[in-house]
Parts: sequence; C-alpha cells; structure tokens
Amino acid sequence: MPQRTDIFKHTLLIILCIFSVFPVLWMLVSSFKPLSEIFNSSLIIKNPTFDNYVRALESLPILKMIINTFIIAFSEAVLQLFTAILASYALTRWHFKGSGIIMAILSLTWLIPIQAIMIPNYVTISSMGLRNTILGVILPNIVSVFAILSIYTSFKSFPRVLVEAAVMDGLSEKSILFRIILPNIKASLISIGILLFISGWNEYIWAMMVNSNLDQAPIQIGLQSFMNIETYDDNSWGILMAASTLSCLPILAIYLVMQKQIINSFVKGGIK
Amino acid sequence: MNQIEQPSKTKSKLKGLGAIFKALNPLWFLLPALLILVFWIYYPFIKTIYYSFTQWNLMPDTSPVAVGINNYKLLLSLSDFRKALLNTLWYIIGMVPFSVIIPLILAIVTENLSNRAKNIYRALFFIPMIMPPVTVSTIWQWLFHPTNGLINHVLINLGIIDTGINFLNDEKTALLSIIVIAGWKMIGFSTLMFSAALTGIDKSYYEAAELDGSSKLRQTVTITLPLISPTVLFMMMLSILFTAQWTFAYINVLTQGGPGGATTNIYYLIYTYGMKSFNVGMSSAAAITFFILFGIISLIVTRINNRLEFYDN
Repeated sequence: MPQRTDIFKHTLLIILCIFSVFPVLWMLVSSFKPLSEIFNSSLIIKNPTFDNYVRALESLPILKMIINTFIIAFSEAVLQLFTAILASYALTRWHFKGSGIIMAILSLTWLIPIQAIMIPNYVTISSMGLRNTILGVILPNIVSVFAILSIYTSFKSFPRVLVEAAVMDGLSEKSILFRIILPNIKASLISIGILLFISGWNEYIWAMMVNSNLDQAPIQIGLQSFMNIETYDDNSWGILMAASTLSCLPILAIYLVMQKQIINSFVKGGIK
Repeated sequence: MNQIEQPSKTKSKLKGLGAIFKALNPLWFLLPALLILVFWIYYPFIKTIYYSFTQWNLMPDTSPVAVGINNYKLLLSLSDFRKALLNTLWYIIGMVPFSVIIPLILAIVTENLSNRAKNIYRALFFIPMIMPPVTVSTIWQWLFHPTNGLINHVLINLGIIDTGINFLNDEKTALLSIIVIAGWKMIGFSTLMFSAALTGIDKSYYEAAELDGSSKLRQTVTITLPLISPTVLFMMMLSILFTAQWTFAYINVLTQGGPGGATTNIYYLIYTYGMKSFNVGMSSAAAITFFILFGIISLIVTRINNRLEFYDN
C-alpha cells in the first residue's frame, strides 16, 4: 500500500504536469475543433475536423516554411557540432599556454546578448546581400558555445590512456579524433546534436530581424505574420491553433522518441 | 651544382616547419570556432561600443557621427529607460518563484520517488522547454483571450470575475501575464535541475543525521539547503541575467512593449531603439550599459558561489 506522503508527492507532481502540458494539449484540441465548438471550454470534441489544417495550409506557405526551418536547424546543428568537436579536441588533447584565455573567450559570450551585437551583424548581413535569405539566418549561428562546452565535457571523460596508446601507434590527430574518440561518444554527440537542432528550430529573434520574406523565412516568422493577419477575425482561432501545431509538430515528434537523451544533455549542459 | 644537396636541405627545413606546425596543432583545431566567434560576436560587440558614442540612423549612404558620451547622458535622463529598468526588475522578481522557489520546494518534497514514476513526470514537465517562442505566444494569446479565452471562461464560471480580463492589454495585468508565460516555460526545467542536484548529495549525511535523531525539516535546513546552494545560486544568476531575454519573444509577439510601455524591458527597449526608431547610438549605449551592469552582477554572484562550494568539501 502506498504511503500517504507518497500520494501527496504524486499529487504535487501531477499538478505541475497538468500546468506544463495543458496549454499544449489545448492547442491540439482547439486545432481539431469546428467553428461551432471552438468557443466552448470542453476538452472533448463532438465533431472533430481537419478543416482548420486545410485552411491554415491554404493561407500560408507553411510546408515551404517548415522545410526552410528544417534546413536552418539542420545546418546549424551540423556546423555547430563540427566546430565544437574540433575546438573540444584541441582543449582536451593538449595542455598549452592560453587555454585559460580561450575558455574565458568562450564563457564571456554568455554575457553578450544578441541585442548588443544585432545592429553590426545586421549591417554585415545586409552588405553581404543576405537579408531575407536562409543563409543570412544561419551564418551568425554556426558556432555554439553551449555545444563546445558540452562536447568538451564528454571528451574530458574519455580515457586518456586510449588516446596515448593511439599516439604511440603513430595515428594522426585526425584518425585519433575520428576513429578513436568520436565513435565512442556517439550517443552523447547525437543527443547534443538534437538539442542544437531544437534550438535552431526555435530560433526567432535573429530571424525576425533579418528575414521577413515568407518564402525564405523559418516557420516562427510565418506564424507571427499569420497571427497579425488572422487574430482580428475572431473566427480564426482554430486555424491559428492548427498552424501553431504544425509549427512544433516535428520537434514534438523528435522529443517523443528521444526525450530521455534530450533531458539528460539539457540538464548536464545547463541552459543556453 | 648543389642539386644533390638540395633535397636533404629542404627535408630538414620541412622537418622544422613540421615541428612548428605540430606545435601549433591546438590552434588549427580551435581556429574555426574562434574566428567565427570573433567575427560574429566580439567584432560586432566592439562595433556596438563604438556606435554607442555616435549618432546614426542605419541609412546606407550615411555614416555614424561622433557625439561623445551624449547618448549615455540622454539615456539616463529618459523616463522610458527608467521605466524599462524598473519593469526588468519586476520581471526578475516575478520570475524567481517559477525558476527557483517553487521548483526548489517541489524537488525537495518529491525526492525519493521511484525512478519509473519520476521519468514520466520528467518527460511531461520538460515539454514547455522545447516549445518554439511564437507557438507558445499563440497558445497563450488564445488562453488569455479577453472574451473567448479559456482562462476567462473558467474565472467567470467560478464566479471570481464578472467580465473577461484583458490580460495582455491591461496595464495592471500585462506584465504579470508575460511572467506567467515565461514561468510556465521554466518551472519544469528548474525542478529537474534541482532534482538532479539533490540526487548528487551523498546519502550518508542523512543517515548520520537520522542516527542523531534530527527531524526531516532540520535535515532539510542543515544538510540539503547548504549542499544545493550552488545550484540555487546558479538558477538565481540565470534568472537575473536571462529573464529579460526569456521574456523578449513574448513581449515582441504579444504586447510590443505596451500598453503604454508597461511590458517593455531593457532588451526590448534596446531593440525598439535600434530596429524600430533606427537610433543606433541610443540602442548601442543602452546595450553597453546593460552589459556592464550584468557583468558586475555575475562577477559578484560567481564570487559568492566560489565561497559556497566550499561546503561540499
């Protein structure tokens, strides 16, 4: 028989779960409600419909924007992983003068908010002719300090003797990195990569500044423009919720499959 | 002719170069990340410092005009700025219950649950953390809607209010509503952070306390709290430094800083100065002022933290 204190504990946690999940659930429920039901507070839908989705897809190039978002998130994640792997290798493989300074250079970026660099970067992107392009969104985000520090930690826990043995065998640095270390920490690389993908998917502030061309913009920008058009009309909440659902469906799906790894590397790395 | 000698000379020369190349090994691996960081973060940051002493409106054919410290002087005298500063403080204060107090209590109270149950809870209350910012905004706009939103429906049906509250457009509720949204995003994550810190505590401390006959509450105060104080401080620091950042997207999407500047925080002010009024000088001066202020705060917190970590030795 469960103890009374256990029941109390579960009750508290269930309340927090409801608070956390309910808004997302309400979005899903509203997205399937027909116009006749959208304004009632019931969680049960009498006549569920896909109409909202059809109308959302008609009024905005949602699929195109989801593809854009995918390209942005994927290339950012891959490039961030690549630059982070190289940097972490240098920081763990050798002891050299100035590694302290490099750590300081990395950590200090946490104190520089995007608002303190947005104008110069906006000028740079404009002068490159990359405003309103996917590339313009990606370019300033191909290094992630979060990625470097996370991968640095997993490199550190890699047994040093194995690296030393490989050096004795005369392996090149490239082979040590790609054939000895990386295959052994594949699991944590993948979860860090997924985390980077999610944060690329959710990238908003920078994209909003440089990209308002809906054909080239990520879905978050599209959703915002949709909001501005549609919410004047009280009848379009179902459509807006359908568009919202589509905008987060891919990462919710990834989360469903990989939640354990995602949470672990998130908690380990703190928060960006 | 010294044709025969030459190859060996080049060889030794190459060997020397190879040694240098090898000694520079760390540099080659670090270079991509460092160059990119310098190009996209440090160089623009220095440029922002420069802009903060100039006047410029971002027009392509014009260039910044030096104005000394005028931007800073003007900034400190503006009521907009003081209001944004005060709002930022309110955001931080409002955020602390969601990012520190409630999660800390929840984590302590719910310790020692079976792992299977814990994993399900973890998976569920982490969901807000992965939701995209504009999607979160649309959901809450719908929940907060003055006439048709669920929250007003429920409040009216419970008899708490007579007519719907215009949460996001009323000066009295707008800032609080933004805090609720940002807090919703953080609360589960913070609880996880504290739970993780709690599992790291050596259980023998409690066993010893148990033998001494000290109560659960006393154990919490004398063992748990001191030992997780670094995590508490870390979450405090995150809240102080990043609340203005966490709330930015919701402010931009849902209130645009309004009504009447009631929800404008400093980052949003910097953004409107720069990208809306095209006043580059003022925007940069505000950004630099806050960089310095937050820099000092994090320095102080790091100092305290170093002192606290002593506990675990």
